[in-house]
Amino acid sequence: MQDQASLVAVLNSTWFASGLEPGIQTRLAELSRTFTAEPGQELFREGDESEVLGIVIKGRVALRIHVPERGDFTILTVEPGDVYLWSALVPPYRATSTAVAIEALEAITFEGPALRAALREDAALAQALYPRVLVAVARRLNATRVQLLDLFAAEQVRTW
Amino acid sequence: MVIPVSRSSRGSRPTIEGPGFLARADLQVLFDLLREDGRQLIGPTVADGAIIYDDITSVDQLPRGWGDEQSPGRYRLRRRGDERLFGYVVGPTAWKKWTFPALIPLTHSTHDGHKVSFEPEQATPPKLAFLGARACELAALGVQDRVLIGTEFIDPDYMVRRANVFVVAVQCTTSASTCFCTSMGTGPEVTDGFDLSLTELDAGFLVDSGTPAGRAVLERLPLRPASAAEQYGVAATVAAVRARIGDPVPTDGIHDRLLAQLDHPRWAQVAERCITCGNCTLACPTCFCTTLTQTTDLTGKNAVASRSWDSCFSPGFAKVAGGSFRARPRDRYRQWLTHKFATWWDQFGTSGCVGCGRCITWCPVGIDVRDELNAIAPPVPLSPESRLVEPVAATPNEFVTARVVNTKAETADTTTLTLTGVDPAFSHGSTGQFAMVALPGFPPLPISISRFLTDGIELTIRGAGPATRAMCALQVGDQVGLRGPLGNNWPLDRAVGRDLVIVTGGIGLAPLRPVLHAIVADRRRFGDVKLFYGARTPADLIYRDELERWGKRDGIDVSLTVDRAGPDWSGRVGIVTHLFDQAAWDGSNMIAFVCGPERMMQATSTTLAGRGVSASRIHVTLERHMECGIGLCGHCQMGKYFVCRDGPVFSIAQLGDTFGREGI
Ligand SMILES: Cc1cc2nc3c(=O)[nH]c(=O)nc-3n(C[C@H](O)[C@H](O)[C@H](O)COP(=O)(O)OP(=O)(O)OC[C@H]3O[C@@H](n4cnc5c(N)ncnc54)[C@H](O)[C@@H]3O)c2cc1C
Ligand code: FES
Repeated sequence: MQDQASLVAVLNSTWFASGLEPGIQTRLAELSRTFTAEPGQELFREGDESEVLGIVIKGRVALRIHVPERGDFTILTVEPGDVYLWSALVPPYRATSTAVAIEALEAITFEGPALRAALREDAALAQALYPRVLVAVARRLNATRVQLLDLFAAEQVRTW
Repeated sequence: MVIPVSRSSRGSRPTIEGPGFLARADLQVLFDLLREDGRQLIGPTVADGAIIYDDITSVDQLPRGWGDEQSPGRYRLRRRGDERLFGYVVGPTAWKKWTFPALIPLTHSTHDGHKVSFEPEQATPPKLAFLGARACELAALGVQDRVLIGTEFIDPDYMVRRANVFVVAVQCTTSASTCFCTSMGTGPEVTDGFDLSLTELDAGFLVDSGTPAGRAVLERLPLRPASAAEQYGVAATVAAVRARIGDPVPTDGIHDRLLAQLDHPRWAQVAERCITCGNCTLACPTCFCTTLTQTTDLTGKNAVASRSWDSCFSPGFAKVAGGSFRARPRDRYRQWLTHKFATWWDQFGTSGCVGCGRCITWCPVGIDVRDELNAIAPPVPLSPESRLVEPVAATPNEFVTARVVNTKAETADTTTLTLTGVDPAFSHGSTGQFAMVALPGFPPLPISISRFLTDGIELTIRGAGPATRAMCALQVGDQVGLRGPLGNNWPLDRAVGRDLVIVTGGIGLAPLRPVLHAIVADRRRFGDVKLFYGARTPADLIYRDELERWGKRDGIDVSLTVDRAGPDWSGRVGIVTHLFDQAAWDGSNMIAFVCGPERMMQATSTTLAGRGVSASRIHVTLERHMECGIGLCGHCQMGKYFVCRDGPVFSIAQLGDTFGREGI
């Protein structure tokens, strides 16, 4: 278990949590745990209850979706600084993809129920954290749209 | 660095800061200490008109007051007129004589009736101390370590011999006209690979240690702390050696430059002088090729297999039943040079040359490897002022032809064609320029030049429709029609001295590939170079081998991402802008080159602007319908520009709000 100060430093090194007010960061550090996973380790499965919100510190997490008869597709990798399982904050709190660590993972995690309770009780914390979650989710939504355009496809859907 | 010099065995002294100073008169103490430790000393001594390495026991055997003069094919000793013990450069002996002897027994075998048996020879080498190894020679030991014990299979004989060696390095305070360690990045400064290091001054030596074993010896030497003036003097002397040697062979990109010149006429010219004697390989401190010889006794029952140095210059080296693969001297010279400077990198991740210059001095006909390299694979000039060359077949009714000499399938739908027999104008084209490429019956199409060769070009074409598919289907020997080179170029001159970020997707890497070649050929002129490359799937990445080399060897920070992947891909999945949208960069000294689908270029320039790269330093290349390629047919107009003539490369500032605007 890392001490508070070093957890705050680690949080500050991520784009997701950097630059938050010191009080908020200390509160987040209190709620957080460090987590590690081996390459190849499955972190959660699509449809599972989202138990934690995680921030990747080191390593790479592949988010995969299974298509029956066609296998697993990696649709996104979560890289250092970014979050996984944001669904731990949004009902129905279920994972929307399966996650596998594809490089040795170091992460910081927040228990879903505890984090939600803290956000309900602590307006300042909620005010600081929700915009960050929104940025992370919006960034992902934007990426998904660009991927949907399939810009590098051989056959371009021409609009003219 | 703090060197505690506590002298338990020879009376206690205070701990001293920095390197220690050893009086010349006390050097024998080092000899004696090493011999006390059971080591046989190998060091420089004068014999047969040269300074060679041999067994020595006393300082008196060192080449006191001797220097040497070296030039291609020439070596002479000369009196220095001082008392220096290490005032020479390197002689004909290489340390491999002890770590990788010229002849060793490998296996004893016997034949007894129907029975055969094989007994491996076990080396029991003496403990040695090498005295006087120069920076280039330390690098050479490192290269042989890599070759002989650095990969999966190890040479057991080398391993035991090497482990038994204590290395006393001597920093160079003089140089020969044949030296080029500076170009090979191995010297003259001694930085690692030694136990003890000495640098000679007028009255003695600055002594430093590089390993715990070296420190243990150092602590037993009669040292006093070196003065600031002595330390400064050493630094200034070694810096002067570096300056005197200069940079005789620009080696940035030498691997690719050399391998692109396998058919250069110079190979035949140098072979007219080369007598394939193999002196260069014998004198070379890294050459490791060997051959096996079987010797039997008179009964024929007992045999010894011995290993001896061989040379790729010897006529039988590449012999098979029916002939030799490298029958001609030019083949052997090419094999040697391309191995040393290019394919060694592919095999061992290092250069095979350390720049000691022995192959130049000891070549009986004075062939200078530096001249050959500069003639065969000159660095690609990158002159900012250079004007674009006049295109050939400029008007749309004429074409020159070129012949396909190689085809490479990059992906399922993309092929790289190597063309030769093209007009020299094409080879003198500039990064980012394109050619109008024609096949009878198809409309001529604009295709970027993806590589400039001395006698040709490469085109990388994606079969997007009938014409490009016909081009992708071309075979070796087929011809195509060309006009060009057309259009403007990437402003590489503006990138000199700056950090460069290249963002590209899909086939968009093709027009940027010559930029990467130019950077690799002259890497030092640029700051950090980052390449962000996105593709649809892992199978759609083009130039995979090069991507790996650029990243691993050429000092380019390569990041790849794909839009989707199967579970076997362990790289990134996501959009290319997410490779850097959260990066903690300072964009103020950065210039960006971007090529990909227009939508991707827009997103990229927005993201780059957010990282502090100004619009005048973000350059994109545009694709438009082109027919004439010279501003006469009107097809490629975009606002006030004709993309073919004024572009295809534009800065975002130039394009203003026409960039990304629909229907312009
Ligand atoms: C400056 C520049 C550099 C390019 N570099 C490359 C490259 O390195 N590699 C590569 O694969 N592609 C490159 N392209 C794109 C390439 O020119 C088109 O993919 C190609 O013209 C498509 O022709 P097609 O007949 O095979 O396919 P289709 O898409 O089926 O085209 C049908 C017809 O449309 C017309 N057409 C389509 N695009 C163009 C065009 N850009 N110019 C003229 N006519 C066109 C032609 O009449 C063509 O026969 C480049 C384009 C430009 C403008
Ligand atoms: S292609 Fe004819 S004007 Fe540009």
